[in-house]
Amino acid sequence: MMLLRAFNAPRVLITVMGNDLLCPVIRCQPGVYKPGCFPLFTSPKFTAPENRQEPPASKDAKPIKKKGRAGNAIANPFSVFSAGAAKRRYELNQKRAGETTGIKDNVSKKDTISVPSKPLSAEEWKILKEELNMIQQFEDKMMAHIITSNGDINVAKSLLVFVAKENGIEYKLLVKYLALCVHQNQTSEIYDVYEIMKAKFKTLETGAYSLFIKGFSQSDRWEESLTMLETMKKTIIPSRKNYSDCILGALNKKKGNIAWDLYHEMLESNLVPSLDTLKAFFDTGKAMKDGMFKRELLKVLLYMRDNQIYPDEAFMQSIKSWFESIPGEDWKGCVSAVENSGRCQRCRQSLESIHLNQEEYDNLKDVILNDVIQGTDTFRKTTPEELRQFQKFVGSRPPYDIVIDGLNVAGICGRGCRSQILLDIVSHLAQQNLRLLMLGRKHMLKASGSWWRSHMAVIQQKADCFFTENISEDDPFLLYATLNSGNHCKFITRDLLRDHKACLPDTQTQRLFFKWQRGHQLVLPFYTPGKQVMFQPILNYDTIVQTTADTWHIPYDMDNVERASYEVPRKWLCLQRQDSMV
Amino acid sequence: MRFLNIVLKKTVTFTVFQSVIPKGTRKCLFLGIPHKPPPCRTLLLSLGMRKEDAHPLPTEKLNLDEWKNIMKSSLPEEASDEILEREGDWDSSLTAIRELVEMWRLAGKAVPESISEEQLKVLMELPTKSSRRKYLKHLAIKERFKNAKKAKKEKLKAERNDTLERPVAAEEQRAPRNSFFLTFWQRSIDNLHLWRAAQSMLFGQPLVFDMVYDKVMSRREMENTVNQLLETEGWNRKSPDPFHIHFCSLHADGPYHEELLKRYGEAWDKLLLTATEKAHVDLFPKGKLVYLTADSPNVMKMYEHDKIYIIGSLVDKSQQTGLSLANAKRLNLATARLPLEKFLHWETGAKNLTLDQMIRILLTLKDTGDWQQALAFVPKRKHEGFIDIQKKMELERKRKMYQFGSRTKNIDKPSAGSLTKGSKQKRWWEED
Repeated sequence: MMLLRAFNAPRVLITVMGNDLLCPVIRCQPGVYKPGCFPLFTSPKFTAPENRQEPPASKDAKPIKKKGRAGNAIANPFSVFSAGAAKRRYELNQKRAGETTGIKDNVSKKDTISVPSKPLSAEEWKILKEELNMIQQFEDKMMAHIITSNGDINVAKSLLVFVAKENGIEYKLLVKYLALCVHQNQTSEIYDVYEIMKAKFKTLETGAYSLFIKGFSQSDRWEESLTMLETMKKTIIPSRKNYSDCILGALNKKKGNIAWDLYHEMLESNLVPSLDTLKAFFDTGKAMKDGMFKRELLKVLLYMRDNQIYPDEAFMQSIKSWFESIPGEDWKGCVSAVENSGRCQRCRQSLESIHLNQEEYDNLKDVILNDVIQGTDTFRKTTPEELRQFQKFVGSRPPYDIVIDGLNVAGICGRGCRSQILLDIVSHLAQQNLRLLMLGRKHMLKASGSWWRSHMAVIQQKADCFFTENISEDDPFLLYATLNSGNHCKFITRDLLRDHKACLPDTQTQRLFFKWQRGHQLVLPFYTPGKQVMFQPILNYDTIVQTTADTWHIPYDMDNVERASYEVPRKWLCLQRQDSMV
Repeated sequence: MRFLNIVLKKTVTFTVFQSVIPKGTRKCLFLGIPHKPPPCRTLLLSLGMRKEDAHPLPTEKLNLDEWKNIMKSSLPEEASDEILEREGDWDSSLTAIRELVEMWRLAGKAVPESISEEQLKVLMELPTKSSRRKYLKHLAIKERFKNAKKAKKEKLKAERNDTLERPVAAEEQRAPRNSFFLTFWQRSIDNLHLWRAAQSMLFGQPLVFDMVYDKVMSRREMENTVNQLLETEGWNRKSPDPFHIHFCSLHADGPYHEELLKRYGEAWDKLLLTATEKAHVDLFPKGKLVYLTADSPNVMKMYEHDKIYIIGSLVDKSQQTGLSLANAKRLNLATARLPLEKFLHWETGAKNLTLDQMIRILLTLKDTGDWQQALAFVPKRKHEGFIDIQKKMELERKRKMYQFGSRTKNIDKPSAGSLTKGSKQKRWWEED
């Protein structure tokens, strides 16, 4: 039994596969398993960093009953949708391919220009210009180099003196100089440049405005950055960076109202605020003890929930310390992980289920049928005839437990007879008395080296099969059949289904789809013919910012893990009110 | 006071001039001089002027903010210029965006120097920042080409004028040549082409351009499509045995028609091709139609002279895969694609070719039936040269023999081997 726990199987999986089946597998490769990591990536090289990331969690966490390896393994199952999975696959792939990575250093551009270390006089600049033999754009290039090397501002000034004497300073060069000033926070210089530009040019363009906004917002004249933002709005929607700078400026001066107004305005024009902006609100929130600020901050958290925005580590710390600073409410926050059962390790509370509610489910089903399968033109993915046939086929049978993407499953291991692999997996599932539907294409029925007729005949006995035309797409059918069978039905494919997700009309539906996918997709990461079939666990809790009356659970991104867009974080911030605990 | 200043300036510059000559020894002595008179502007200026040979001087004495004064002093006239430039009664938002574009140009971004009101309106209607940026860049590039062309034309004109002026005397001396033809003018060649085209209208093999894609294309894509159609028609006309081109499902006053009229002008009514509102399936027997599309599962083996090939006139920059295949499926037509993989080491780029490349390939196939020659029109950047067919067949034969011998051992080898990249094993996350 202990071995079973070590394997870290979720309940769903156990119901699917039966407990007794797991033991022999684990006995096969006893040494390989590392806690907290799925067997797919078991080579020591890849598991080691994973374990190193664990300590902060276990330091804070209460020592829950640990029994050797088994206890630790409960948290953090590693599925395809966990943060960092794509990166690992990539690395593994690189390693397997035997390619040497990291020889990416770009051929250094011919770096002929070296920035002078101290200011030069006009004559010296002239000589330098002639030496470099670069008559055109000498000033621009030199200024760009000063910016990139973060050079002395006096050097830039002396360059400007030279250019002013020579042929007059152009707008381009002024903006570059401004960028340097803003970068080095030379407030008085920014003011001067502003005066000059305002007098010399009737209007400015977005680049200069952005720089001025950035420069002014941190200074005493921060209110002028707001007027500049207004000016920009006349012609173009300001970027989120512009808003962010203004908000930071307002927050610096403790003008909460203005900052929140800007924030709401930004959301209205469909800009997604950066994490830094949100973090600044929480940081300021610690000093602001009014009710409005608190309400708004809680709204920010709900906004993050609705849009699946996950904080990074620094931001998580800000959220935590803000909660802990709320007077009168004794919040306690700590870093935690979530068990496969969906309980937070820290507070033992169950998280939200991954399952969609009925309304969402029906909605998703309609959208999949209308947008993914039919789309604007049914002929692009299938034919109306075939679709009708399929709907009739699915409708005439009782709901399935598992829908299998035949072609995808059969291609799991590069060698081996495809129909044999498919047969193995189908018969493995059939043993558990599951109702199966296998989707494939018609060419599978044609006997060939990789598709044996005898195998296919057995498969058709054990599972219902539907074969689409060779030029039709089978994935949309897979999605529809699964959705049609109801909430308990799972599907098997290794495909990440990103192209189908992209067909969905809006981001909200895409998120719904992704949530459903995480809850219903069984992934068979690898398979060796003749060996035991093992699926990756399905997590039955949703990774999303969530709250109950006296807790908040906020998933966050670790700094040293790269998360792809189709993955979710694995670490959590658990916040709870102490008074209610006691 | 002013007089005094001038005197001061003169004396100081004089002393400087003097002191420059004896280098080295008197340098230290000379250093003290500027400090003596009461500090004033002219003095500082003169100091700045001789900075070059004063390396040991501490750098703080450089007047670093001098450029500000220069900028400020040059303000009035430039500012008035700007205002004068912007006179005129535009409505305010258009003026604002025009000014913004102008400032972008000053900031060194890719925007056109002059922009018409119509273009500005198009710009305003674009929804996103990136689309605006792209449109402006497109206009800028277009303008640059236009200017370059203009410059070239003027240069040629000047050269021609030169040559015309020079050999006047020589021309008089030249005796009348004994020539079989009068000068062979382009008009005669055009006539020849038109004859051939007229013949093809009567007896030629039809080639259909399917014009049903107006809904799926953006404005730019539509312009590009018509560009390609123009070129296509040109290549066809110049070939020894032209196709009889059909523009099918071309609706009057639709976007295609509008754009074609804009490009051809009056010549549109004189073109020797068939433009019709009818669909290809209404004009020709279904069994003879073959829809050419890169998404087709069937590879074209050889060119058939009794078939009617259909090309979708579509430029697809947004990668809407399967559009033309869907059309063919809907009408239940045969489809085919070019055997690009069979003949070429494909390197990069999409397998869909432009319309003019397609017609050149088809024309060559029609004349010679030689794939190598025909596929020479595939852009060179997309492939790494032709596959040696003979060698490949030989290899295939050898492999088959080997497999036959060892069949019992590895029954699954053929499937892996027959893949083009058999050596590279597919990972589980790679999509099918």
